[in-house]
Formats: sequence, structure tokens, C-alpha cells
Amino acid sequence: MKFEKKRSSVKQEIPTSSMPDIIFMLLLFFMVATTLKEVEVYVKYRLPEAKAIEKIENKRLISYIWVGKSGRIQLNDAIVQVGDIQDIMYKKRTELPNVIVSLRIDKGSDMGIVNDIQQALRKADARRINYSAMLKQ
Amino acid sequence: MVQIKKKKGRDAKIPDAGMSDIVFLLLLFFLVSTTIDVDTGIGLSLPEYIPPEEQVFVPLSKDRLAALNINENGDVLLDGKVIAIPQIQETLIPRIESKIDLPKNKKLVISVKTARKTNYNLYIQALDQIKGAYATVRKAYAQTHFGKKLYELDKEENKELKNKIPIIISIAEPERIK
Repeated sequence: MKFEKKRSSVKQEIPTSSMPDIIFMLLLFFMVATTLKEVEVYVKYRLPEAKAIEKIENKRLISYIWVGKSGRIQLNDAIVQVGDIQDIMYKKRTELPNVIVSLRIDKGSDMGIVNDIQQALRKADARRINYSAMLKQ
Repeated sequence: MVQIKKKKGRDAKIPDAGMSDIVFLLLLFFLVSTTIDVDTGIGLSLPEYIPPEEQVFVPLSKDRLAALNINENGDVLLDGKVIAIPQIQETLIPRIESKIDLPKNKKLVISVKTARKTNYNLYIQALDQIKGAYATVRKAYAQTHFGKKLYELDKEENKELKNKIPIIISIAEPERIK
């Protein structure tokens, strides 16, 4: 007896021509969804390290203050003086009532400047702060 | 004369089977290269600003207060005694634990005071120790009372935990420059 393979006359193919389109959609989604908020940092800083750190849950609420090695202060995207912080943060707080201020302060700084910033923030009533720190390995 | 042969009947198709592979590579590249940097740090709520003339002195019993003082030479004093930074956590844990069952107005208050010339890193290390002490106590409490890990607690349990072991860190009013 002779065996012969049965072949169906119907074409068996999954149409893959639109596959790249689907993946392009995915790609575009990822490219759009990862909003890279690029702020140019004009100050040099190295963050301190700590163990008991927590994540800031809501990134939209964060305002950044950098304090560099040289003692220069940058608020969001501009270099400012200590005296300006209060006004700027007060305006910011009226727009965004529960703003979190992330303090990225160089680990070699003095507490004097930190205290000044904190006092300014207290006066501006932006009292939720976060001392930015890296995880100690 | 050379006859030019006309090629006929050939399929002119661009092979597009590998297209999806290329796009997958692109996708992977973007997935890997976009490092979403997470903001980590030590969270704190600053006290409300009260002008100096309106400030009222609230006496705290010695038992309730843990005064941490970091001076400009880098010496750390806890209640007037010199202490090494890594020991702060161990020293504070029993003090926090002893106050778990006390009412709200009897919980431990940790006051951190620094001089203007104190190094910022030291201050963060000290804060880290304090936060670490609270985290340890909270973890133990969650384990013994709910039998759960900290992140497994539901809203009600979290609330109870926060009521029992509140983190009260007071940043001392900076001294006015004379």
C-alpha cells in the first residue's frame, strides 16, 4: 500500500505582513510614553548615600533644588539665590498645592545652606521635602 | 549583435519577513536604553513656619525627647553623650518600642540639631539611622501583630501602624546669627 500525504488545497498561512505595523505602534507608544524631562543641571553634585530611603511615588509633583559643590543653587532650570527661593516656591505652591521638593544636595555641603533653603521653603509653605540620596550598597 | 535578453516572469518583491525582526530590535533598544531614573531619598515634612515672636516654648519631658546634636567637628551627641553614627539605630529602637502603647502625646520625639558648619553628609547619615530605627520597629510590629510584611498591610492596618509608631522628627529651629 502506498501512503500519500494528504494536502489540503487551502493555503495555510498566517498573514504577517501587518506585524511590523503592530510593532511600530508598540514602539511609538514607548517612545511617546517615556517622557524624558531633560533639565540641564548647571551644578556639580554628588549625592549622599543612605539605607532607609523611599521612592517618591508621584513624579509630577516634584520640584528640584540642586546645591552644588561650589554652593550654587539651582531651582528647576535656573541658578537662583537663596533669597529668591521663597517667592518662586510660593508661586509654585499656588499652582501645585502638594508639591514635593526634592533636595539634591552635594554631600560635602554645609548645613548652613541647607538650613537657609529649609527656612525659605517653610516660609513658602512648601513643606514636603525629600533629601535625595542613593542606596548604600 | 548581442541580444539583450529580457528577463521575464521574475517576481520583484522586497522580502519583508525580516522587517518585524528589525522593528523588534528597535523596540528592545528603546526599552533597554530608556532608563527611567527613580527618585529615591529620605522624605520629611518640615514644620510650619512661625515667626520668632509668635513662637511658644513647649516643654517636653526628658523621657520623651531624644535630642540629637551634630556639631561642626562631626561629633554626634545623643542626649548630651557622644555616640558613633552607626549606633544611633540600636540606641533608638528600644526607646521607640517602649512607647508603642502610650497615647499619642507621649510618643518619642527625635530632635535633630545641626550647626551651620556641619557636614551635610553626616546629617543624612544620622537621619538615615533614625529612619532605619523606625523602619525596624514598624517591621517588627507588623510581623507580630498582623503577621505580614510592611508592604502587605492594607489601609486600616497601615493606619493603625502609623498611629502606634508615628515618626516624629523635629528639625530644630536654627539659631539666629548674632
